[in-house]
Amino acid sequence: MGVAVLIKQVPDTTSKVSVAGDRVDESSVSKWSISPYDEYALECAMRLKESGYSEVVAITCGPQRSSKALTEAAAVGADSLIHVHVEDSLDSIQVQTLLSAAIKRTGSEIVLCGKQAADTNSGSTGPGIASILDYSCVGVVSEVSVDDGVLVATRQGPSGLEEIEVSAPCLFTFDKGESELRRPNVRGIMMAKKKTVEALTPGDLGVDLGESAVIVNSHSSPPDKPPGQKFEGVSSIATVVQKLRDEANVI
Amino acid sequence: MMRNMAYEALDFYDIDSMLSEEERMVRDMVRDWVEDRVIPNIEEACRDGVFPDDWRKEIGEMGILGAPLKGYGCPGLSYIAYGLICQELERGDSGVRSFASVQGSLAMYPIHDFGSEEQKEYYLPKMASGEWVGCFGLTEPDYGSNPGDMITRAEDKGDHFLLNGAKMWITNGTIADLAVVWAKLDGEIKGFIVEKGDEGFSAPEMKGKHSLKASVTSELVFQDCKIPKNRILPDVKGLRGPFSCLNNARYGISWGAVGAAQSCFNSAKEYSLSRIQFGHPIASFQLIQNKLSWMLREITKGQLLAYHMGKKKDDGTWIPEQISLAKMNNVDMALEIARMSRDIHGANGILDEYPVMRHMANLESVKTYEGTHDIHNLILGRHITGIQSFTREP
Amino acid sequence: MEVIVISESNGDLLHPVTAQLVGASSSLGGNITILCPGGKGLSEAAEISGVSKVISVEGDCFQSYDSNAWSKALAPHAEGDLVLTSSSSTGRELASSIAAIRGIPVLQDATNISEGIVVSRPIYSGKVIETSSVKIPCVITLRANSYEASESSGKAEISTVNQTADVTISIRKALERAGEKIDVSEADIIISGGRGMGEPSNFSNLEEVADLLGAAVGASRAAVDTWDEIPHSMQVGQTGKTVTPSLYIAVGISGAIQHLAGMRTSKYIVAINKDPEAPIFGVADYGVVATWEEALPALKNELSALLSN
Repeated sequence: MGVAVLIKQVPDTTSKVSVAGDRVDESSVSKWSISPYDEYALECAMRLKESGYSEVVAITCGPQRSSKALTEAAAVGADSLIHVHVEDSLDSIQVQTLLSAAIKRTGSEIVLCGKQAADTNSGSTGPGIASILDYSCVGVVSEVSVDDGVLVATRQGPSGLEEIEVSAPCLFTFDKGESELRRPNVRGIMMAKKKTVEALTPGDLGVDLGESAVIVNSHSSPPDKPPGQKFEGVSSIATVVQKLRDEANVI
Repeated sequence: MMRNMAYEALDFYDIDSMLSEEERMVRDMVRDWVEDRVIPNIEEACRDGVFPDDWRKEIGEMGILGAPLKGYGCPGLSYIAYGLICQELERGDSGVRSFASVQGSLAMYPIHDFGSEEQKEYYLPKMASGEWVGCFGLTEPDYGSNPGDMITRAEDKGDHFLLNGAKMWITNGTIADLAVVWAKLDGEIKGFIVEKGDEGFSAPEMKGKHSLKASVTSELVFQDCKIPKNRILPDVKGLRGPFSCLNNARYGISWGAVGAAQSCFNSAKEYSLSRIQFGHPIASFQLIQNKLSWMLREITKGQLLAYHMGKKKDDGTWIPEQISLAKMNNVDMALEIARMSRDIHGANGILDEYPVMRHMANLESVKTYEGTHDIHNLILGRHITGIQSFTREP
Repeated sequence: MEVIVISESNGDLLHPVTAQLVGASSSLGGNITILCPGGKGLSEAAEISGVSKVISVEGDCFQSYDSNAWSKALAPHAEGDLVLTSSSSTGRELASSIAAIRGIPVLQDATNISEGIVVSRPIYSGKVIETSSVKIPCVITLRANSYEASESSGKAEISTVNQTADVTISIRKALERAGEKIDVSEADIIISGGRGMGEPSNFSNLEEVADLLGAAVGASRAAVDTWDEIPHSMQVGQTGKTVTPSLYIAVGISGAIQHLAGMRTSKYIVAINKDPEAPIFGVADYGVVATWEEALPALKNELSALLSN
């Protein structure tokens, strides 16, 4: 039985993101990477493979450029690669429907992905797919392993950190994991180059996308912060704390 | 998850677009490793005067040692990829690039090209994985630019060779498991493989360097050093042996220097944008912009030189004089940029908070090793005029 | 428009974000129903002004958290035009699953919802604001503290439905958070001290504030170089870590250019320093001229008060 890992290519978190006109300017992105939480999922998938699962299939949904993320996954050991190729902006249910169809095609009953992508910061894909496929869904995990035939995960649940067990079929969404994604090596890179990416259109997957129910009107830079404010004396601490909540919204 | 701000390598003429997917992936792998492992730890390594053993292991795991060599567990990458590896390593530190240059171009390469089948099968896989470290013994205390007059000698004693002499300025010497040593046998230069632990062989470390502090530099001492007969490199004699090794290493240096220069440029750019004097970032002043623009210009030329040299190496259409020009020009350029970058950093430039002074000190070595700057001038002078000017003899 | 708000609980109590969800819904002029998973916080929910109905969805599945089971139990009662949850981890999961079950889109982490329906939300970790139009029916999750809470002067009708689904996740054991400190390179909030802290032992005052905020404790190079007790791993700056947390609090740090290089891209910066001329005030969004001895206890008190309610 194979493990499917869902990855998304996003602007590297260290890359500048700028807005030109009313859209994020993709041409200004200096580096594209696999979304960080997906990297943890990929590392876990590789470890599950090492503990006996037959193969790791990496799946992405996105425009042409995102195929490179699959090659990067192959360089660290992903065995097969599926690119659901769409150029248009899709809404959450469209993405989930496509990826669910791709997962079904692989027959994978263990699916790993990041808890959210570093571009949209949403976190809709994993749980949505679990519902569509009627897989169990364990969110915000840091580790998944196999113990005597059952899947064991560490998750940050509503009541705190806990160890849970669950059976396949199951989808896990990854928080920062226990293990960083392994570094590729030259051999892996050369193997990756030889692996073919299976490119599928929505039609190939038997999905009629229909129209997106969400239309992006604009992207904009956040409003400028107010100029720095300086206060005299300790009595101003209360004011600053209140401003951190009301103006800055950071606590 | 939060990493340092993205390092945006200067690539004004979009060399990136000329690289293959594989070359880009190898470069990014090494770039990420340098970012994660070298840059945060290099100052400590320099202070302690060590080349961290973890780096040896990790460089070995990446599979980049002996990059352009094929077979025997070697990577089989293009010369362009080898150049990119050197560039990224030297952006971290010249000492790290030196480690890889010596291992790949100076120790693995002669075994690969001039060694017996048995030698290749025995040594190369262990060296490609980083398990064994190699070094290269050519320079002697009294023979630097003039290696042809070396005094280290080998004698054929029937069932073994006996080596006597000393080598100096040997990168990796003390940590090496084997040394490729050039010595005269019956008056002719031949290559020998000496292993750590061979009777009569020692490799004391040279201390007190102000340059390449994170790189191990040693003497190799041979006092009636006894080595088996099967340790001679069968397929080369004369200076062609060591010089062909040096050509490959010098080619790598021409890329490495670009990496060091990029690091200094990047630091100068960031610093000048955040340093406020007279109420404005110093980057807004014309004298600073003039310097930054000069750096951009020189780095871009150096990149194109290195890239084109790589293409010629991959096509096999190169001559050694072209490599001399690339090495000499790019190291000279990088050293000038390091000094200029230090200048832009003002007094802050002398601190180990910034990489520039370290690069500057390193590049003084790089300017001198693998053929000094002036020797490369003489190589080109001979090429232009047909008259050699190394010696007074006709 | 029929709006279903799925309440968020905090232990057995109602989480204050629930009243904010109602506040946001009211601004759209919807007819509001609250669903309380497992009946938690039911009576408090009924008191929120502007709510017409509160439904306690009760079933065995609500004994422990299983997003798939909870969503299956909640979805039949979440048939509104707009379903609203908080954008906490559980809120996002339930929203996504319910949306998928209904075959409708979900938009996460809205900070503004206006008629149309037009949703604004931060993306790229807040570096960009996205505004989009979404057709109803849809599900939206709302970021806490984006809307004023609706008042507690209502009296909504309460009903109960029994609905459960198979739970497939079993909890083996609760785990203790390993007592290890949060690393500065991963923290969303950092409080750093400089040589102005006087003694390394005084960093415990920073740690107390950090514990309240779930923050990491950092240090300037001056502090790291001066005191062996402050390890290099805590150093923020040119040769330390470059950090971009959403909040950076610099205490007793003058703001040398090397320190600024490591933290100036933090989203918000608070500086506490007794020297009004310290360069750190030049990059601070909120500067307080005071000694740390006065400021840190006050900061601790104010934060405790704010975070406990």
